[in-house]
Amino acid sequence: MKKKMIAILQNIALLLYAFYAIFPLVWLLILSFKHDSDMFNTTFIFTPTLENYRALFSDGEYIGYFLDNIIVSFGAIALSIVVGVPAAYALARFDFKGRDGIAFTFLSFRFAPEILVVLPLFLLYQELGLYDTYVGLIWVFQVLSLPLLIWILRGYFEDIPVEVENAARLDGYSWWQVFIKIVMPLIRPGLVASALLSLIFVWNNFTFSLLLAGQDVTTTTVAMLQYVASDTVHYGQMAGAVLIASLPIIILALSIQKHLVRGLSMGSVKG
Amino acid sequence: MVADITLKSISKKFKNNTALANINLTVRDKEFFVIFGPAGAGKTTLLNVIAGLYLPEYGNLYLNGVYFNYVEPEDRNIAMVFEDYALYPHFTVFENIASPLKSPKYKESKAVIEKEVTRVARILKIDHLLERNISELSNGQRQRVGLGRALVRTPNVFLMDEPITHLDAKLRHQMRAELKEMQKNLDTTTIYVTHDYLEALSLGDEIAILNEGKIEQIGTPDDIYFYPHNEFVASSFGEPEINFFDALVTDDKQLSIFEEAKIQDIPDIVKNKLDTSARSIRVGIRPKDIKYSFVKENDYSVECSVYSFEPLGAKAVLTVEKNGNQIRLVVPSILQMDMDQHVYIELDINKAMFFGPEKINLFSKFLKDAKGEVIWQS
Repeated sequence: MKKKMIAILQNIALLLYAFYAIFPLVWLLILSFKHDSDMFNTTFIFTPTLENYRALFSDGEYIGYFLDNIIVSFGAIALSIVVGVPAAYALARFDFKGRDGIAFTFLSFRFAPEILVVLPLFLLYQELGLYDTYVGLIWVFQVLSLPLLIWILRGYFEDIPVEVENAARLDGYSWWQVFIKIVMPLIRPGLVASALLSLIFVWNNFTFSLLLAGQDVTTTTVAMLQYVASDTVHYGQMAGAVLIASLPIIILALSIQKHLVRGLSMGSVKG
Repeated sequence: MVADITLKSISKKFKNNTALANINLTVRDKEFFVIFGPAGAGKTTLLNVIAGLYLPEYGNLYLNGVYFNYVEPEDRNIAMVFEDYALYPHFTVFENIASPLKSPKYKESKAVIEKEVTRVARILKIDHLLERNISELSNGQRQRVGLGRALVRTPNVFLMDEPITHLDAKLRHQMRAELKEMQKNLDTTTIYVTHDYLEALSLGDEIAILNEGKIEQIGTPDDIYFYPHNEFVASSFGEPEINFFDALVTDDKQLSIFEEAKIQDIPDIVKNKLDTSARSIRVGIRPKDIKYSFVKENDYSVECSVYSFEPLGAKAVLTVEKNGNQIRLVVPSILQMDMDQHVYIELDINKAMFFGPEKINLFSKFLKDAKGEVIWQS
């Protein structure tokens, strides 16, 4: 009887927390279906409308922003994987001078606040012609994603006994074949988890997108600003834009949830 | 397939630690070659050099007389069993064993793979586990999967790094016999690393004793056991360990052990070869070559006091003390021994070994031609 009571209380507490946590999202969803006139009523009674979404997609601009965001984010993650996987492998496997120094340097990319480095970067980008280009944004975004990827994957590589690689060499596989066939599958949970986390960071980045791009390349986060006009704020359209912008991340996270939890909580090779 | 392996002056360092120092050895075709040594002796490093996983800093490797220092591991056609199994954790047992036969180097058809894996699994008694994941296996089973992955192909050489250490005693005994049998049937050169002297003696055609990166002795099990080059080799083989005592050679060439004058005559053969200038000498005698009695039987009996008595089933190890020396001997376990009780021991000096101050066997240099003649060691 006592146990049952505790269980009920626990559930009530969890429900309260869930409501607390999800409420902003629900509110967002409701906003996106409201007319501007209904925006500030707090009674939850309104006539739903698709007007905001129609406005979002009417000129096709928002789709362009969305695609821009996809290009720079996935570009940055792809680049991070191509660079980060070998880097993490080298940091885990090879004993060279200054190894820990280099690993720490990678991590230190994340130390400075973005706002601190964005001005020098802005000047550099102007000079180099990288301002407002895909390459420019991808380049700066991989600085955000690369350290995370390297540090998570390094642990995964360290967890694979070197004997496993040696055994595969003696089984008749060349170094590259061992890497693709044996090592990569073993770090996959870590790769998936770290890639997704970095993707979230990059996808939602505002500072760099705002200050290093703007006209030709516009990400959804920056595009939100357009709904803040001088005379009025189009909360409904903004809410719709935010919802659509979060969809890819939500879908990705849900579809690889299993890897995400496992990937961050334990090493790949046990026993 | 002929596979002679020759190592010439192989040296390997890790940072400032010398793992192998000037290793010279030849493994003849179809030989079962055992590398024996304590932990940290460099046994695994030596195997890794032969496998091509480490490049030696100095020295040359030859396979059938062909220099192969720089041949990649996958091109050497060497199969290795790792001490920590080194199985692929994301593969099933079947896939693990089949791995070499699926590789680009030793590719076989699906039917052959199926047949070979099943055959090997049956020998190793893991055929019922083929569909399991590695994480579902016990250590003993994992070790057998590791063995299976090596045995599934026909390499130039098998390298085995303590392949049966993690098995329980009964299975280990059984696998020891099976390995011996298997090697005879496979007729393939095998280099086998172990720290278990019984494994070394029972399996090896030839044994190399490695200590701190150096080879102490290479020889047949008989050589190693009966004619050890130095005290290290003598003490590594045999359980309980061989006893060593300091002794003095008296003027009339008699041996004084335990500070008792003129304990015993030295066998003539020793006397003749003994350098007269050498006064102090180390005597090694195995526990089985010491007799005990409760009464003084003759002039050679030495009075000692019981230090410890460990019954081990039918036999027991009795440790007695004499002037600070502890002496181990093997006795029947039915004896009743009390601490500090007085017993008499008699050394069978004809079976003793004699070592110089540098712990080198004084007579090992005569051993090759003295076999049979050296009565005290047979």
